Amino acid sequence: MYSLKVSNLCKQYTETYLFQDISFELHPGEVMAISGWNGSGKSTLLRVIAGLVRPTTGRVEMFFKGESIAREFRRRFVGMVAPAFSLYEELTALENLEFFCKVRGIGYDRESCLVIMEQIGLSESAGTLCRNYSSGMKQRLKLAQALLHKPPLLLLDEPGCNLDSKGMEVVENIIADQRRSGMSIIASNERREVDYGDRVINLSK
Amino acid sequence: MIAKVLVTVWMAIIIVAAFLYANAAVGFPGETSRILFFHVPQAWVATLSFLISMIGSCIYLARRNLKADNLALSAAELGLLFCLLATASGSIFAKAAWGSFWNWDPRETSIVILLMIYGAYFALRSAVGDPEKRRIFAAVYSILAFVTVPFLVFVVPRITASLHPEDTMNPARPGMDPKTLKVFLGSLLAYTGLFIWLLRLRLRLLNLEGMQEPEFGARENMDRVGEEQ
Amino acid sequence: MKGGRWITETGSSTYLSEAVAIWFRDLRGEFRTRYAVNAILMFAVTTLIAVSFSIGSFRIGEGEQPFLYAVLLWIILVFSALSGLSRSFVKEEEASTMDVLKLSARPQAVFLGKLFFNLTLLAALELIIVPSFILLMDYKIELPGLFVAMVVSGGVGLGGGTTIVAAMIAQASARGALFSVLSFPLLLPLMITAIKGCEKAAVGTNNSGWPEVRIAVAYSVVMIVMSLFLFPLIWEE
Repeated sequence: MYSLKVSNLCKQYTETYLFQDISFELHPGEVMAISGWNGSGKSTLLRVIAGLVRPTTGRVEMFFKGESIAREFRRRFVGMVAPAFSLYEELTALENLEFFCKVRGIGYDRESCLVIMEQIGLSESAGTLCRNYSSGMKQRLKLAQALLHKPPLLLLDEPGCNLDSKGMEVVENIIADQRRSGMSIIASNERREVDYGDRVINLSK
Repeated sequence: MIAKVLVTVWMAIIIVAAFLYANAAVGFPGETSRILFFHVPQAWVATLSFLISMIGSCIYLARRNLKADNLALSAAELGLLFCLLATASGSIFAKAAWGSFWNWDPRETSIVILLMIYGAYFALRSAVGDPEKRRIFAAVYSILAFVTVPFLVFVVPRITASLHPEDTMNPARPGMDPKTLKVFLGSLLAYTGLFIWLLRLRLRLLNLEGMQEPEFGARENMDRVGEEQ
Repeated sequence: MKGGRWITETGSSTYLSEAVAIWFRDLRGEFRTRYAVNAILMFAVTTLIAVSFSIGSFRIGEGEQPFLYAVLLWIILVFSALSGLSRSFVKEEEASTMDVLKLSARPQAVFLGKLFFNLTLLAALELIIVPSFILLMDYKIELPGLFVAMVVSGGVGLGGGTTIVAAMIAQASARGALFSVLSFPLLLPLMITAIKGCEKAAVGTNNSGWPEVRIAVAYSVVMIVMSLFLFPLIWEE
């Protein structure tokens, strides 16, 4: 139903190309992994695909039943987790989820948010301020935030960072769930995370 | 090249005419009224470049064309220059005619606001690291600043309380000496020509720089990306 | 995933409801951290005390009072506002929550939410500073209706003119100084109008139609509409 098409993507800083001529297509049920050395542009590539950064050249297009989705609607179809992201520290976990539900225009429903909290293993500390969360718990909550609107395209930048082995299982379940209906792109250098991908793009030249 | 020669010769003619051909207006101390031929065109060019800068900004936002941003930037640079010239020449006249370099006359107020807007425009440009963001922000700010100008017309009383000479110095009114009018219009033309010539020079330079080397500021951005990895 | 819903059913959500969500979140965060309120109110109170202490209510003659008091009041209000109105955007950038917000909310909703939040801050600022100023300086006002309308419309203009600037400087370096440098030229027409309006209210000049209030309202409308148009350009990518 949905598909993603990335063509000739290029990002240039000063005279050096961060990455050059990236092209691929992604369809539901597929998982793609992006690997590469530090500074090879994994994170930036994901940010370009999410629409946070404009590419120097090339295009990112998303299709629904063959029709292109306009840029301003794309945020409804993308969920993203990245180490550089943060959630609101002065809100509790549940309040964070409530906020993102409302701001995304999906009616807030406490029950289903609690279900998500359960899935990421945070149901006991749903009422704790995020300021008091450990970095692993924050990472789990970021995963929940990215899944709230059940995005067809999930962008995971180092999804396992700061996570313990139970947390890694959560990530594994999320990717397996996503594989059933949607697309995912994982950027990582961890052997285990890269192995989730059916295909791997290596950015280091 | 021809443009340069034309502007230079015409400017020279106007300067000579301003001092020798035109008569000094009555009611002004000594020869001070001759400031008209220099101060008013400078102020006119300062305003014109503000308008051009805003137009360049609009085109840039619509088309994302680098040349449009260069136009906005070079017009703003020249606008700042002519703004300073107009302020300086006006101050000299103010000292001679009204007794003090600065009086917060309504025209003086508006030129100070224009100076502040130009200053803020360049401060913004130098504070944004990412080149594309810098251009967008500068264009947005230039449009916002332009939008506030009409309010000044309501807010700052134009004619009633102004110290600026109106009747004998305003070409739109009948009181002006025909010789003075001729030189004044010629001077407007000269300054506008000078402005266009300078603008084209600056624009050509900026366009060439844009083609050859990466922009200043791109480096910082590179570092930021490095951190995120 | 069991808990999620497909997002295609967004018909019921409007820009306004999303903006209100952002507004309430900012209020909640502000209530817990008092990040902006402290900056603005402490600045305002300090300046007010400095002015009141050094001038007092007898130093300025009766005839000069309406004008000079209006000037002092608006200098306090404008510069207090400039000290803190950029906080809501700057904090998003500093806490690196901006990217997530960009990914989840529509730009116009973000602008409106932040505008509502800034207007709330300004309302709090004016509610505290204006009565204190009147009491401390013994400010006599002949036309209270005009005075209140001027203070309110001036406050809306302050918020409307600076919110988009705050969004820009949050993404630039040298934020604190830059906010005042960029905002002040845009606010000058409003400030001059507001001073004139408050002066007239104090003197009791009979001017029908309240031209100053109308200019301030027009200014607010123009700045807010322009910002709504321009905001997506500075917010996205």
